[in-house]
Amino acid sequence: MLKVIGGFFLGLIVLGVLAYSYAGSLMFREVESPFGVEETIARIQQNIQNTGNGWALSGLRNPGKAVEADGGNTLPVMMIEACSTKYSGPILKDDSVRFLSILMPCKISVYKKNDGKTYIGMMNAGLMGKMFGPMVGETMGHVAADQAKFIQFDPSKPAPAMIKGVPGAAAGGAGASAAGGC
Amino acid sequence: MLARPKLILPLAAITAMLTALVAFAAPEQIVAASAPQATSAVPAAIAVKKSVSTADHSKFKELQKNFKTGPEVTEACLLCHTEAAKQVQHTKHWTWESKDPKTGQVRGKKNIINNYCTSPISNEKDCMACHAGYGWKDSTFDFSVEKNVDCLVCHDNTGTYRKLPGFAGHPVYERIEFPAKSGKFVEAVDLQKAAQSIGMPTRTNCGACHFFGAGANGAKHGDLDSSLQHPGKYLDVHMNEKGLNFSCTQCHATSSHEVSGSRYNTSAAMTGPAHIRGKADASPAACQSCHSDKPHSAKHALLNQHTDKLACQTCHIPEYARNDIGTELSWDWSKATTMGPDGKPFARKDSAGRRAFDSKKGEWVWESYVIPEYRWFNGTSTYKVIGDKIDPTHTVQLNVVGGGPNDPDSRIWPTKVHRGKQPYDVENKYLTVQHTAGEDDTALWHNYDWQKAIGTGMKAANLPYSGKYDFVNTELTWPITHMVAPKEDALSCVLCHSKNGRLKDIQGVYMPARDGKHWLDVIGWTLALLSLLASLIHGGIRIYSSKKEG
Repeated sequence: MLKVIGGFFLGLIVLGVLAYSYAGSLMFREVESPFGVEETIARIQQNIQNTGNGWALSGLRNPGKAVEADGGNTLPVMMIEACSTKYSGPILKDDSVRFLSILMPCKISVYKKNDGKTYIGMMNAGLMGKMFGPMVGETMGHVAADQAKFIQFDPSKPAPAMIKGVPGAAAGGAGASAAGGC
Repeated sequence: MLARPKLILPLAAITAMLTALVAFAAPEQIVAASAPQATSAVPAAIAVKKSVSTADHSKFKELQKNFKTGPEVTEACLLCHTEAAKQVQHTKHWTWESKDPKTGQVRGKKNIINNYCTSPISNEKDCMACHAGYGWKDSTFDFSVEKNVDCLVCHDNTGTYRKLPGFAGHPVYERIEFPAKSGKFVEAVDLQKAAQSIGMPTRTNCGACHFFGAGANGAKHGDLDSSLQHPGKYLDVHMNEKGLNFSCTQCHATSSHEVSGSRYNTSAAMTGPAHIRGKADASPAACQSCHSDKPHSAKHALLNQHTDKLACQTCHIPEYARNDIGTELSWDWSKATTMGPDGKPFARKDSAGRRAFDSKKGEWVWESYVIPEYRWFNGTSTYKVIGDKIDPTHTVQLNVVGGGPNDPDSRIWPTKVHRGKQPYDVENKYLTVQHTAGEDDTALWHNYDWQKAIGTGMKAANLPYSGKYDFVNTELTWPITHMVAPKEDALSCVLCHSKNGRLKDIQGVYMPARDGKHWLDVIGWTLALLSLLASLIHGGIRIYSSKKEG
């Protein structure tokens, strides 16, 4: 009996350790970009605009600017914000999951690390969605499929210009919602 | 009874692992720090801008003239500053030459081939927009004429004095459309106003050339661009406009118009205490001249043990080009003369709006917030000068940065390495000089013909040209020394002390956590594991014994 109980708790501990170690990497993804920060942003922005499904850019935020204003340095970090009313609408209309508005607009982070390379960080929308019921799960599944298209690059195409000022979202702040529609 | 120790041992091991994990994962303790108030290092009494000069040049009768040309202004200056032109004529800003005191090599813009516009020879009318003189348009320029020294380019404090390419170092005397057919106009300079607004060189004066080297903002150096005109603390602690607000000459102190701190004569490894200003100082531009070679407090004494191997800049300039302007990392001349689908020259910008291609000049790659490449450097660089032989099968080092781990005058420095591709003479095996700027028939930017451009350039450089050219990979290395970050943003230990850290390619020095002997690590870990095992066995036996006895 002692062996069974001990084994059970041991299993729990191992599960806890595994969950602790891997939860972060399951919920969020990080991929290396073959381009520099600006070009990566520009290509993602272009992909978002070409994806359809109601996707629109709603902002380009630079969290590092606040650090700089405070006298500090960060390596470049830029947040591309995009939204699709096709996907945000059903979630925003449902009282039980409206709190998920905290995840809107959809954000893709482009940043440089100390190895000098550029990375793309994004939420694993598909997995996250499954935790909140079938409707959200299905919607977020579509979002995840589109997110995958956002980071598919064609190096043979020339680099587009980075869109710095998104209409209605000049500072990438509160006004961001006006352009993206969510 | 045997079941208990069996269970205890793995549980103890797992508990130890968990404890370690929790310890590593614990959020950093939040240190309660009083938020510093935004304060200015400049006392309020002197924060109000006022002249520090004892002379008001607008009151001088010699300057109450309607000057027509720059040399006329210089003649007026020399009436009082009788030795100024002679002093300037001994400086690199005038001669564009520099002799290496260690090797005797004669360098300087006039003699070396750089990785950008390559050489001013045969392109003087354009390049001399950044010469501290008037009229250098070809090899006949007389370097002894004092009135041709340009005082205003360094001392005009109106911020309106501007020299454009194509005028052999003269400012704009008449309103012109520039660039031609662009619809943009440059106003004529008011020479009288400029002459009456004389002062010590400001960032605008120095930056007019040094921020815009290689033909674009930030292109050349990487640690010098127009963001230093009004920098915040994050960008440069010394030049921070709301803080110390240093001008360039605060560090680059001059003596008889000789500006200290040239890249041709870098003080790479100064030792000793901080210097007293006013005392004869060989290297006032070096960090150590104010901070000494033991700049860290007793609390951080370990950092002082690094100063015999590391330049200050290595830790305190974590990245360069820390802004949206960025810097140019490569220039590929082999792509120049490529035309668009319609057969006409074209230009293209990169995603950040910086020049990426031009049929006249080739292709560029830019980057912001660049992680430096680190090299040993003893302050001496050997340059490729015009006519030096090259090996085209290898990348040509346009300058070889001197120093090494066994050289006491060397330190590990952050550098910008600019890569390029430029033409060379296939048979004579040297880099070519090409005539790029101008409106004549042989200028590359006019008729897009490499043969004619190289032919004219080589003739001006007095070098034989075989008539056959190709392109070779090139590199130019720049020590990085500006854009000093606040001390809080200095590199953390682990960024270098790790297997793939910033200094992973630096040879000749042992670095804990980066270097190690495999067999020593195996022995160490084995001993640690054996100790853990012994403790567990010992504890287990004691528990078992106490239960048995009790």
